[in-house]
Amino acid sequence: MPGSSNPAELHFVCPLVHGLHARPASQLAEFVAGFVSEFYLTNPRSGAEANLKSPLAIIASDIREGDRCSVRVLGDDQEMAAAALREFIAQELANTDESEVTSPSDPSPLVLPRALQSPAVTRYSGVAVSPGIGKGKAVVVGRLSWSLPVNGKATEGSEKEQERVEHAIAMVRDRLKALLSRAMSPAETSVLKAHVSILEDISFEERLAGFVAGGQSAAQAVISTATFFVSLLEASESAYIRERAIDIKEICLRLLEEIDGCTSDRAEVMLEEPSVVVAETLAPQQLLELERKWLSGLVLEYAGTTSHAVILARSLGIPTIVGVKDAPVRLTPGEQIVVDANRGLVVPNGSALVHRFYERQRQTQRERQRALSRYARAKAITTDGRRIEVDANICSGEESAAAFAQGAEAIGLFRTEFLFLGRDRAPSEEEQFTAYAQAAHGAKRRITIRTIDVGGDKPVPLLNLPAESNPYLGYRGMRVYQEHRDLFRSQLRAILRASALGRMQVMAPMVTTVEEVLWLKEQIAELQEDLERRSIAFDPLLPVGIMIEVPSVAFNLDQFSAEVDFFSIGTNDLNQYFMAVDRDNARVAKLASVRQPSFLRFLKHIVDAVERNGKWVGMCGEMASDVRNLPLLIGLGLHEISVPPPHIPALKRSISRFAFEECRQLLLEAIECARLDDVEQLLRNFPAREPVQPLFDPQLIILHSDSRTKEEAIRELIDSLYVASRTENPDRLEALVWAREQACTTGLGHGFAIPHCRTDAVVANSVAILKLSHPIEWSAVDEKPVSTVILLAVRESDTSNTHLQVLAKLARRLMNPRFREDVTRLSQSAELVAHLSRELEIPG
Amino acid sequence: MKIVAVTACPTGIAHTYMAAEQLEKTAKALGHEIKVETQGAMGIENELEENEIRQAQVAIFAVDIEIEKRERFRQLKVIQVPVQEAIKNPKSVFLRLQA
Repeated sequence: MPGSSNPAELHFVCPLVHGLHARPASQLAEFVAGFVSEFYLTNPRSGAEANLKSPLAIIASDIREGDRCSVRVLGDDQEMAAAALREFIAQELANTDESEVTSPSDPSPLVLPRALQSPAVTRYSGVAVSPGIGKGKAVVVGRLSWSLPVNGKATEGSEKEQERVEHAIAMVRDRLKALLSRAMSPAETSVLKAHVSILEDISFEERLAGFVAGGQSAAQAVISTATFFVSLLEASESAYIRERAIDIKEICLRLLEEIDGCTSDRAEVMLEEPSVVVAETLAPQQLLELERKWLSGLVLEYAGTTSHAVILARSLGIPTIVGVKDAPVRLTPGEQIVVDANRGLVVPNGSALVHRFYERQRQTQRERQRALSRYARAKAITTDGRRIEVDANICSGEESAAAFAQGAEAIGLFRTEFLFLGRDRAPSEEEQFTAYAQAAHGAKRRITIRTIDVGGDKPVPLLNLPAESNPYLGYRGMRVYQEHRDLFRSQLRAILRASALGRMQVMAPMVTTVEEVLWLKEQIAELQEDLERRSIAFDPLLPVGIMIEVPSVAFNLDQFSAEVDFFSIGTNDLNQYFMAVDRDNARVAKLASVRQPSFLRFLKHIVDAVERNGKWVGMCGEMASDVRNLPLLIGLGLHEISVPPPHIPALKRSISRFAFEECRQLLLEAIECARLDDVEQLLRNFPAREPVQPLFDPQLIILHSDSRTKEEAIRELIDSLYVASRTENPDRLEALVWAREQACTTGLGHGFAIPHCRTDAVVANSVAILKLSHPIEWSAVDEKPVSTVILLAVRESDTSNTHLQVLAKLARRLMNPRFREDVTRLSQSAELVAHLSRELEIPG
Repeated sequence: MKIVAVTACPTGIAHTYMAAEQLEKTAKALGHEIKVETQGAMGIENELEENEIRQAQVAIFAVDIEIEKRERFRQLKVIQVPVQEAIKNPKSVFLRLQA
C-alpha cells in the first residue's frame, strides 16, 4: 500500500563514537538508495528528521553515540526495506567507523617549542619531507579563492543557470572519479569518496536547485548552498562534524571553478616576493616553473614522501610539508605563513612572538651550518680510521657546485629524469651534454649519472607510457629502454661525450636480469665505436654500474659483478619489493622500516657479496639520509653514502663520532634481532663517541641578549648548545628544561636563574650562560626579575662525578654574594670562563 | 644546638647543594653546629653517621622528594621544609627550631 499511514518503523542506538559522521552517513545513504521507500531518521534529542538518502541531512541531524534513534520507512517496499536496514544497522554500522589512518611519519612524538604551544597559535601539522624553515606570502595554486566575488543575479534565466549547475556537477563528479581511480592511499580514497557523495546528495541538489529557482545565478547558488550547509555543520557539537564543513567548501570551490570556466590548474603562477606555494598536489614541472628565488616553502595536501615533486623539492632545498589536510582551503592566499619543515608545521598569521621565534630559528640554523662547515671540507673517517665517501644526490647540473661547496666528495646520483619531465619533446643530446658537463663543474670529481628512470609512479608524457594497475611492478626504469631506444641512445651519447670533460660514470635503474646489463653494455660499445669513427672524444673506460633495487639482483651478485664496475643501493624500491609494502600506504607503512631486522640482514648479504667480488658498493636511497641509520650503514661496510647536499656536513661530522668495529658489532646484533623494536632499542643505546668537551666554553656564553621573555631566554641558551652540536634535539631539551621549571622555579633570587635538567638529549655536559640586556620576569624566589641565566645540562647516563662535583660547587658558590658579583661584572666570555674554571677548580 | 640536615631535590644537580650551602652558612651565623647530608645526582654525600644523628637535638629536611634511609631519624624530631624555603629564607627554617 503506497503512502500508507502505517509506515514501518525501526529503532537503534547509535554505536559510533563520533556519531553518524560522514563515513557512516554516506554508507547508510548508499545502502538505502537501493529501495523505493523513503526513510526518515529522527534525532530523539531535537526531534529533527532527516532523509536517510541524504548523507548531508544525516550528518546535519547531529546524532551522537548512545542516541536512541528511530527510522520511519514509507513506500512500496517498506517492510522489506525496514528489515534489510535493521540487518545493516545490526551487522555493518559499527564497522563503518574504522579508525583514522595515521600518517606514516616519524613515530617519535612531536615536542613543540614553548613559543608555539600557546593555544593562540594556529598551526597545521603534516609530514616534513624536506627540512628547513621558510616564510612568505601564501600562494594557493590550482584553486579559486573562497572569497571570490561572483555575479549574483541570474542573467540568462533560471533554466540556463540550472543547466550550468548541472553541467558543473557532472564535470566535478567525473574529475573526482578519475582521481579516485588513481588514488594511492586509503586515506585519499575515503576523502574523495566523501566528496563524490556530497555531489550526489539529494539535499545538496535540492538546495542548489532551490536557490537557482529563486533567481540566483549558478555561482551564487553554489555559494548560498555552501553557506547553508557550512553553517549547519559548524553548529554541530562534534568537532569531527564541524571539520566536515571543509568538505562542503572544497566541493563548492570545485563547482565554482567549473561554472566560471576558470581552468586555474593550468594558470601560470607568478611569484613576486618570498612566497609559500600551497597546493593539493604539484607536478614536478609545475614546481620547476616556479621562480626559485621567491619560493621559500611548499605545502602540499596530497603527496607521498617519495613522490617526484617531493624528491625534487628536497634536492632543491625547499622546505616542504606534505599531508596537510585541506591546505588549499584552510590557508588564505596572501597571508604570511611559516613553513616549519623541521617540525612538520604550517603556521599562518603568526603573532610577533612567533615571528621572532622563527627569525631566531633561522639565525640559529645559519650559525649551525657555519659551525658545521669545517666538517664539510674534511674527509669522513671513523674513530678507528675507516674512511667512508660522502657524496651528493642532485637533479640538475647546476646543483653540483653547491653540493661540492657543502662537502660532497663526488656526485653519487644525478637523477636525469628531471630533464625529461613536463616536456612534449625530449631534451636534445646537446642540451643533455651541457647539463652533464655542467655537473662536472670543471672539477675532477666523479659524477654518477643515472640514466632516465621513469614509468610507474613517474609518468613522462613524452614516452607515452600506458597507465597501469600496478605501476611499481610494471613498465619502468631500464625496462622501457628497448622500446625507446633512440631516446636512450641519445642520452648515452651525451654522457659519453661529457665523459671527455670529467670523471663520468653511468648507472642504470631498475635492473632485474644480467641480460639487461649485457644489452646496456652493447649499446655503450656501439656508441663508443661510432664516436671513435667520428673522432669525438670520450672516456673509453667509462665505468658502468647498476642500482640494486630489485631483490633478484641481490641473489645474483656474483654474475652481475662480472659485468659491472659498481653498485648503488636504492633503498626505497629495494625495501618495498623486499617487504611487499607500498610506502605511501599509511596502513602498512610501519612494515616498510629500513631497520626491520630482515631488511638489515638482506643489506648485509648484498654488501658482503659485492665485497667478495671485489666491487664497489654505495647507497643513494632515503635510508642514507636519516642520520639515525648511520651506525648501521657504517657497520654494513658501505664504501659510499650519497645524500641530499644539505645533509653532508652533519653526516660527515657524525661519521667521525663512530667506531667502525663497534658499528659492525651493532649490525651483527641487529640482524640477530627478532623484532623491529629490538633493533630500535639497540640503536637508542648505541651512543656516538663524543670527544671529551669542556663543561664551560666561551661559545656557550651569550652577552647582551635581547631575549624578552623566559621562553626566549631558555630557547636562546638551548640554541647555543645546538649550534655547538652539543644537542641534536633542541626541542626535546627545551621540553625537559621546562618540565623541571614547572616543578619549582629556578629563579634563585638576586637576579640569577639556573634552569637545568639531566638528559641524554645533550651529547656532552654543558653550562651555558646568558646575560640579558633587559632583566626579565622569572617568578624568582625573591620575585625580582632575572638578568643572568645559567643553564646546566647534564647527561643522564653520565656515571662519572667529575662534572657533577663542579656543578654542585657552582650551585653552592651562587649562594655567595661576592661570587655573583664577579659573574655579573665580568663582561668578556673568555674572562668569565677562566674565572669560573679557577673558582670551581677545574683542572687545565 | 647540634643539628643534622638532609637536602634533596628532584634533579639533584643544583638546588640540593644550594640548600645545603644556605643551611651551613646560616647555622654558623646563628651559632649552631650542623652537618648537612646531600642526596643528589651523585648519590648520598657527606653521609650522616649513626652517632651524629644520636647526638643531634633536631633534624632539618630541606627536601622535595622522598629521601633515602629515612629510618635513621626515627628517634629524632624532624623539621621538614621545601628546598626552596631553605634557599630563599634559611633563617626562618632555624626559627622553627625554637617553636
